[in-house]
Amino acid sequence: MTSSRFFSWALKAYLAIFFVYLFLPLIIMAAATFNDSRFPTVTPWSGTTLKWFSALWADSGMWSSLTNSLLVAAGVLCLAVPIGVASALFLTTVEGRGKSFIYTLILSPLLTPGVIIGISSLIFWRGWGLNGGILLTVIAQSAFIAAYVMLMVTARLQRFDRTLERAALDLGATQWQMFRRVLLPYLKPAILSAAVLAFLQSLENYNTTLFVAGYDTTLTIYIASKVRTGLTPAVNALALLMILFTVGLAMIYEIKRRREANVARQRIGPA
Amino acid sequence: MDGRVSLDRVAMRFGDFTAIQPTSLEIQSGEFFSFLGPSGCGKTTLLNIISGFLTPSEGKVSIGGEEMIRVPVNRRPTAMIFQNLALFPLMSVYDNIEFGLEVRGVDRSARRRKADELLELVALGGSGHKPVSELSGGQKQRIAIARALAVEPRVLLLDEPLSALDLKLRQHMRTELKAIQRQTGITFIYITHDQGEALTMSDRVAVMSAGRIEQIADPMTLYRDPATAFVAGFVGENNRLAGHVTAADGELVTLDAGLAVAVSGRARQPLAVGDSASLYVRPEQWRVGTPDDLRLPFSGIVQAEHFEGAWLTLEVALDSGPTLRVQVPHVVTGDGVDAQLRVGGSCRLDYSPREAVVLPGAEPSPEAGEVADVAATA
Amino acid sequence: MWQQLHNRFGLPLTMAIVGLLGVWLILMVLLPQWQMIDYSFHPSLLPSERGGEKDVWTLANYVTFFHNDIHLAIFFKTIWSSVLVTALTLVVSYPLAYYLAKVATPGQAALCLLLLIVPFWINEILRTFAWYIIFAFRGPLNELLFALGLIDRPIRFLNGDTGVLVGMVYAYILFMVFPLYNAIESLDGNQIRAARDLGAGWLRTHRRIVIPHAKPGIATGCIMTFMLAAGSYAVPALLGSPGSRWFTQIIYNWFFEGGDWNQGAAYAFLLLALCILFVTLVMRIFKVGLGDIAK
Repeated sequence: MTSSRFFSWALKAYLAIFFVYLFLPLIIMAAATFNDSRFPTVTPWSGTTLKWFSALWADSGMWSSLTNSLLVAAGVLCLAVPIGVASALFLTTVEGRGKSFIYTLILSPLLTPGVIIGISSLIFWRGWGLNGGILLTVIAQSAFIAAYVMLMVTARLQRFDRTLERAALDLGATQWQMFRRVLLPYLKPAILSAAVLAFLQSLENYNTTLFVAGYDTTLTIYIASKVRTGLTPAVNALALLMILFTVGLAMIYEIKRRREANVARQRIGPA
Repeated sequence: MDGRVSLDRVAMRFGDFTAIQPTSLEIQSGEFFSFLGPSGCGKTTLLNIISGFLTPSEGKVSIGGEEMIRVPVNRRPTAMIFQNLALFPLMSVYDNIEFGLEVRGVDRSARRRKADELLELVALGGSGHKPVSELSGGQKQRIAIARALAVEPRVLLLDEPLSALDLKLRQHMRTELKAIQRQTGITFIYITHDQGEALTMSDRVAVMSAGRIEQIADPMTLYRDPATAFVAGFVGENNRLAGHVTAADGELVTLDAGLAVAVSGRARQPLAVGDSASLYVRPEQWRVGTPDDLRLPFSGIVQAEHFEGAWLTLEVALDSGPTLRVQVPHVVTGDGVDAQLRVGGSCRLDYSPREAVVLPGAEPSPEAGEVADVAATA
Repeated sequence: MWQQLHNRFGLPLTMAIVGLLGVWLILMVLLPQWQMIDYSFHPSLLPSERGGEKDVWTLANYVTFFHNDIHLAIFFKTIWSSVLVTALTLVVSYPLAYYLAKVATPGQAALCLLLLIVPFWINEILRTFAWYIIFAFRGPLNELLFALGLIDRPIRFLNGDTGVLVGMVYAYILFMVFPLYNAIESLDGNQIRAARDLGAGWLRTHRRIVIPHAKPGIATGCIMTFMLAAGSYAVPALLGSPGSRWFTQIIYNWFFEGGDWNQGAAYAFLLLALCILFVTLVMRIFKVGLGDIAK
């Protein structure tokens, strides 16, 4: 089958091109950090340097925006994770009329452009005397990040064996004790994953934050403003550090997940 | 500890569907009581009503003389062994067993003492720190029992707990469950569709069909004196011969079942001449003889033979049409009756009327699948 | 609903669940959207004039939009470009999703998925910034093309829409690959083999077997990509030029440069309406429900 061979060859070539397309920009961006040039570029290469790291270290604007970003992310964790878990519990418990309407409402933030979420939050909360800033950013970001948390927790909750709940009640537990000792431990891995995701989503958000941050510049807004005014390879140094941070986090997460999968497999093995 | 359970006109409806017809019954303290019936007969619903997971549409439930309807699940003096056991997968064996005590605020050392005691009882001493996922099927079973006993229930409810085990283990666990019940003196209420389980372990069995209790009796009575066509067909194997009553002499009733000879058996309720009725004779109650043994009144031809170890099951077509299932002991030496029976050969048969039961009605019970239905076409 | 929750969780937890859900849906989703729409139908007033006789219901903000040829042009350009981005992303993602779902061994697929995710754990600004470097007037792309002898003078990539399109495809590709992958993965491999066995060529097999099966995934991917593209601010701001503005940039200007929030709210509502229209249209065309999207 020559056509089959042609297609499988073409597919492989395509994959190679695709992954180059995926990673080359990041590699070039990282490489530009070490170029001794006033602008972030790799052409021409005017000598290797580490000075942009120290320039970044000395940049007080970067530090204050990083602090703001971390504060926002922490706030989002506190707000979006409980909301997401609550709505997952709601969706897996109730049946009947009205559920599909609420389900649509719950999903709608995922299908709404981020700028709209930012704008509507800005307008609504100004009426309550709350202007742009860290608090408003937490509220606006949580509006859609909670939906991601909901999706991840619901996925695990749907596989929960409800007889465990009945067993707990039958043994005398109150509903709260059942939740605390049986349901919550079961949901823990999903909640942790959702929390990591929520944290990263918050850190990297730009479209929504742009409208609600006020004078509390976050890291993404700081980077964007740097790109347009006063661009130096210090931005690349920051990018490189963020890449290393996220890749590191991704790897820890992946290794942990694999180890857990292995442990689970070994336990099933000898039984 | 009073483990009496009484149901007073308990009924359960889901919309238009009646899951339980109004039912009253008394279970004695310390009794091993089983509900036996095919799936969908309402036995699990009844168990859920006793445990408190369901509130009946009407009627009263009391345990040890105390009214239970308003008592929520987690306050009832019952404990349940679930079909899939429902052990908490993320907890150790100790945590599972101690769960019920922990939520009652019992302190740690008392909990541990109780757990160790129970682990000894179920012969799993020393495995308290294991994660539940490392246990075998039989061990999980025992832990589930220990977990339920830890809360010192007055009544233990068991929802087909052995159905996930393989045959040998299942038979072994029957003995063990019965032993634990004797040792603890707790009322056991056992739900099953497996009559072997119900008959071997129970003091009394309630046979259920379509939301109704057909009969409550000890296993022996249930087998020898079925009260309804359903019970006659569902519990054990049976041959049914349908016809109408020609003579009634006290307990002994004679039927014309369209055969060469009239048949008779014991009736549990008075029947009048002319009533339609059915006679039930168990396969092992037939006496089988060679074709020349004219003391035996029925004759037929062997259609098929099934070797079952100790027994040989024959399908015998009577001369007048219906086919019977007949069991004869298998004799290894080769000089018993069974050595002379061949597929296609003829034989003669008889049974003792004292071992046959007559019940009203000529129609088979639609749900009693096991009946070898041999209603005469006459 | 209350009863079902109460039966399962008891009073305190039910109150917490309903409370959190209520705060979210009412205070963070419904009322803000409602307020934004309400705003768009009112004139921009000084705080002292609010509630006064000038505070009337008006279509003026929308009239402004339909009389502004430049804004209209940018609106339609945004729609057209977003559709183009969506189509391009679909074409680029499909072979990859197919490979991951049906050709790769489980090990290869796991590795590829991890490689795919890593760039997307890095934020959109930085991903876009990387392309900014590549596309620069004296950047590596121009140098490469020059060295290959394809051009004799650098091209200003960042002046037109090219940069924006490439940057957007790059930024949103994962939102297309994952739904496609999930949908194709659930296709029974024997169906593909049967089609091949019955003599269908590769193209026909895809057109008749794989693509119809992947419809919910295609719909989800297209909806997400279109929504992200039409609502994007970062990519056009970084890779575009004043000549290739995006509708979101006009909205931003009304808010933070024009200072007319009511006018901005009207523009934002137009964008929202556009996205709702697109979502409904795609769901209608592909005959999929909201439940298929949330996977």
